[in-house]
Amino acid sequence: MRRAVAVLCALAVVGLVTGCQGPGGIAVTHARVGVPAGPNAALYFTAANEGGETDVLIGASSDVAGGVEIHETTQAEDGTMRMRPVTGLDLPAGETLSLQPGGLHVMLIDVEPLEEGEDIAVTLHWESAGDMEVEAEVVSPAETVTDEQDHG
Amino acid sequence: MPNSPRAPRRSLSALVTALAVVVAGCAGDLSTGDLQGVVIEEPTPKPAFTLTDTEGEPYDFASETEGRVTLLYFGYLNCPDICPVHLAQIAEVFDREPEVARETDVVFVSVDPDRDSPEAIREFLDNFDTDFIGLTGTRKELDAAQSAAGVPKAVLVGEGEDYTVDHAGWVIAYAADGLNHSIYPFGVRQSEWANDLQILTEIQG
Repeated sequence: MRRAVAVLCALAVVGLVTGCQGPGGIAVTHARVGVPAGPNAALYFTAANEGGETDVLIGASSDVAGGVEIHETTQAEDGTMRMRPVTGLDLPAGETLSLQPGGLHVMLIDVEPLEEGEDIAVTLHWESAGDMEVEAEVVSPAETVTDEQDHG
Repeated sequence: MPNSPRAPRRSLSALVTALAVVVAGCAGDLSTGDLQGVVIEEPTPKPAFTLTDTEGEPYDFASETEGRVTLLYFGYLNCPDICPVHLAQIAEVFDREPEVARETDVVFVSVDPDRDSPEAIREFLDNFDTDFIGLTGTRKELDAAQSAAGVPKAVLVGEGEDYTVDHAGWVIAYAADGLNHSIYPFGVRQSEWANDLQILTEIQG
């Protein structure tokens, strides 16, 4: 029994180190936001659903932004990039959702000036897991791309 | 679908094929040289257009950038996703490769003239590189510039102040010879920029 507790504690520590674990089994990692050059900034992160049921990201909020929306950028056939609001993002049990440049992002609208290196708090609203506060590091927009997207 | 933009002059299938090459890491098609961007098989000259720079002065694109490697990109300041990533990646390559930076002009054209004032464009670009050139114009001038550059015209989508702008996602590169040899869709890597900018400085007229 004591060993089991120790294992749980170790897992909890890992959870703290690698990200935020919500009550519904949603783990958010690699939360980062590009330094805003204009009025808006994009937040990206990876969310894993470690619970047993599909959850849905229905919105987000942050004290540093006038408004927050979930957006998806897609490329049209002629190469035009289109950004559109998304009402909810499904995250099935056992699956991982990656928000990254050129795809999905959480847009921080009319965002306050942010400095590279600082952390900002954003609350993600999940349909089942409820509100989850995540810390996102402010980085150069060039560093918001994933390793698969760059540094090759 | 809003206001179907005219197809770009370059064939879409070529773009898509070449995009696949970029994504696949460009294992060498030697006939396209060592450029890792999307190679334009029949290079086209710089487009003729004059817009207004962030000082409020007329800027004749072809003559101002003559003899220099030039990167041309159409975007807007409220764009949080692909515009800043493109610009920040080029700026980071410039930081690491100052010789390349000295040989290259980056020209950002705002296609959102109602919201993006010349001053705001300057402030936006200074976040990346104070040498980046920012241009704006009337909607008619911007339409003509996009048409001349062979990109689909930007389209405003949505109501009120929070509209978004559908716009071409790629950066157009002109070598020192004044010709467009390659384009860079979203997703280009910094290592590819560094490689290609070096080559583009060596393609002389």
